[in-house]
Amino acid sequence: MNKVSFWSALPFAVLFVFTAPILIIFSSFFGGYSENWNHIINFVLLDYVSSSIYLVFGVSLIVLLIGTITAWTVTNFNFPGKRVFEWALILPLAIPPYILAYTFTGLFDPFGDANNLARLILGLDRDFVLFPNVRNVYGAIIVFGFTLYPYVYLVARSSLINQSRSMQESARMLGLNQFQVFHRLTLPLIRPAVIGGLMLVIMETLSDFGAVEHFAIQTFTTGIFRTWYGLYDLQTAMQLASLLLLAIGVFYILERNSRGQQIYTASNSTYSPNLEKRLSKSKAVLAFLVCLTPIFIGFILPIIELSVWAYEVNRDFFTTQFVSSFVNTISLSVVTGFVCAGLALLINFSIRYKPTYLVNKLSSLLSIGYAVPGLILAVGIVQLFVYLDSLALSSLDIVLTGSLIGLILAYIIKTYALANSSIDSGYERISSALDDSSKLLGVVGWSMLRKVHLPLLKTSLLTSILLVMSDVVKELPATLILRPFNFETLAVSTYIYASEERMIQAAAPAIAIVLTGLIPILFLTKMIRSSRPVQIDE
Amino acid sequence: MKKIQLILLFALFGQVVMTNEVNVYTSRHYDSDPGLYEEFTKETGIKVNIISGKGSALLERLKAEGRNSPADVFFTVDAGNLWKVQKENLLQSIKSDKVLKVVPENLRGPNNEWTAIAKRARVIFYNPTSVDENEISDLDYEDLANPEWKNRVVIRSSSNMYNQSLVASLISNLGESQTESWAKGLINNFARKPQGNDRSQIIAVANGEADLAIANSYYIGIMLSGSAGKEQLEAAQKVRMLFPNQANRGVHINISGAGILKHSPNVENANLFLEFLLSERVQKYMVDKSYEYPILEGILPSKEIASFGLNFVEDQTSVRQFGELNPAAVRLMDRAGWK
Repeated sequence: MNKVSFWSALPFAVLFVFTAPILIIFSSFFGGYSENWNHIINFVLLDYVSSSIYLVFGVSLIVLLIGTITAWTVTNFNFPGKRVFEWALILPLAIPPYILAYTFTGLFDPFGDANNLARLILGLDRDFVLFPNVRNVYGAIIVFGFTLYPYVYLVARSSLINQSRSMQESARMLGLNQFQVFHRLTLPLIRPAVIGGLMLVIMETLSDFGAVEHFAIQTFTTGIFRTWYGLYDLQTAMQLASLLLLAIGVFYILERNSRGQQIYTASNSTYSPNLEKRLSKSKAVLAFLVCLTPIFIGFILPIIELSVWAYEVNRDFFTTQFVSSFVNTISLSVVTGFVCAGLALLINFSIRYKPTYLVNKLSSLLSIGYAVPGLILAVGIVQLFVYLDSLALSSLDIVLTGSLIGLILAYIIKTYALANSSIDSGYERISSALDDSSKLLGVVGWSMLRKVHLPLLKTSLLTSILLVMSDVVKELPATLILRPFNFETLAVSTYIYASEERMIQAAAPAIAIVLTGLIPILFLTKMIRSSRPVQIDE
Repeated sequence: MKKIQLILLFALFGQVVMTNEVNVYTSRHYDSDPGLYEEFTKETGIKVNIISGKGSALLERLKAEGRNSPADVFFTVDAGNLWKVQKENLLQSIKSDKVLKVVPENLRGPNNEWTAIAKRARVIFYNPTSVDENEISDLDYEDLANPEWKNRVVIRSSSNMYNQSLVASLISNLGESQTESWAKGLINNFARKPQGNDRSQIIAVANGEADLAIANSYYIGIMLSGSAGKEQLEAAQKVRMLFPNQANRGVHINISGAGILKHSPNVENANLFLEFLLSERVQKYMVDKSYEYPILEGILPSKEIASFGLNFVEDQTSVRQFGELNPAAVRLMDRAGWK
């Protein structure tokens, strides 16, 4: 086998295995269509679609505003607390949306802690409700917005850092003020990266079940489960899931193509780092609040509420059960993080090295795995494994079904989009002239990946490992169904209480998820702190 | 470190080693259940392996695993879940006389494919400060659709299987069209959009957000026990529990139940496990922790639950009906606009 065919064959083979469960879900299109479709179209489909669209628009608006404005503020200005905000702004990534949803109702229900506290402080009678009801689509928009904006913040910040000062200076010389520079130069330049981050947010929002179920909103995903659990109709549920994926797939390809026309590569030789502008007192206060608010709502507030709950009962959770759940969670997330990021690296390298249409499309298909509701994905994987088991392995007495392999496969399909987005944007920053030079010097194939790309992609690779890890820590639905016997993760422990709305008992394992999720996040923040090629403008 | 690697290796390649064990797929998530399994191991030397998850999802895993499934026992809440597994022809008839002798026929599968392990009633909670005793004497589920309860009733969303089973039982007793107009009337009486779980409905009544709540009986026991915190304990003390339809067919009863899988590799152990769950000592232990009602006669429920009365009329509608009519119930609630 010569090297050229290897680089086109490998990603194809790998991708085929990983996309198989998604293809199995799609294959439901070719099954029969039950009469439940009539019922769904006549009575509920409109609700499902409209509330999902409403949710996606609201969440997109919030994450775009918070993500870009905070990133712009911390990269361009110097104000007290900025050094902390730079990394603290990604802390909400450690909070799964369903946990923020639970703490929100604990705080803002008519007799929740926040309303009780407000009544106490203001001395009002018990009919007075200060904070509005959060169990609706607006509450859900806030929950997703404030837990997921870091995906936009991360990419916006790194592409802002990579913008050169000379460009901004030229713009200022041409008479643009600071705001105009942001609006007319900065925004268009970071747009592709930001849209990539936004795609992740949209996919996670659409695939979520826990938070929307808790707020009793009927979205497309809750509809899928209602069809499965309530109408006992998995076939129709899988067809609904395929429709959802199809819509996302079309959107994804449109986004890719719109990006394809524009090429942004900063030529590194003329790059000079950003200057930070020192802010006046009042503006510094404003900048401070702009950065503090999302961290407060998305991280500090839920941590406070969880701590209050955990203090009340269940302090005995942090025992042996905790240790084994913790070890399981960490091992799974580390394994998945490395495998998934390595996979994304290989695929992206091969697409760049030996672009083939099919691999490109399969890679997109694998990326939409992020939008598959975990349980539906699990069904696809179980069916795949049963098929594989029946093909060959049953004679070996090794059962794939119910093993950790299935679980890791699910995680990889679920988080490939995260790994891919960061490596993909890393590759966009490597000029293709570099590849040509190294080819001329005889550095090709593996050695080009190892000697040329890898050193340049180190940060992207680490970021993708860590993003995947933090997501695996939070994953619940697929874990529940695919795990081996007697195998608990922190998310599973939390779910056991939370599904019964025993939040006070769920608080201790929930805090454990957040703390565990913080481990990769803190590594990320360390990278962020060291990726600051900035001089202070005295 | 070595140990972790070994564990990982084992887990990666599934269950290769066969020991004296029973493999249980369960959708019950009670704190007390692990204690139960330990007790079984202590008594019999049989190891209990557990996978827990949503009933429907476990069913898919069972279906997919087919003949190779390691599962022996399917243990779940809500008869609908058991019915689904039975309908897929994945269960075998329970042969144990010990089991068949103590469990009434309406609480078993048509051919003894499964059996109830404990019971729960779907009851009405009311706030004695805002509800007059006359209003609720001889109250039926049917009455909750009457205009006098406008803006006074709370119940959770129709996605919940307990509501689906309740509506299925009404369809079975009243027929589909009468149940549908009942559902429409009930929705008109909602004090708020359906939200939260059964516990939140009870809390809403305690806080005066509504006057009546429909919820499962055991929740009040958990709340009264104090294990869920001071707030829930105080809320529970403010409400009263009422069994509807006492002058006629009785209160709606659902079950926690279990069955033995057709391809169970450890049938003997599975039988022992069911017999264990239905033994006097374990029944008492279980209902004391889960606040359900026992299956065995002569066993008392927990003191919190017993305080609401023991001599109530139970709807004898066979619980198998709930599974069969569940899809019809969901469609009916969709049509009526029950979110």
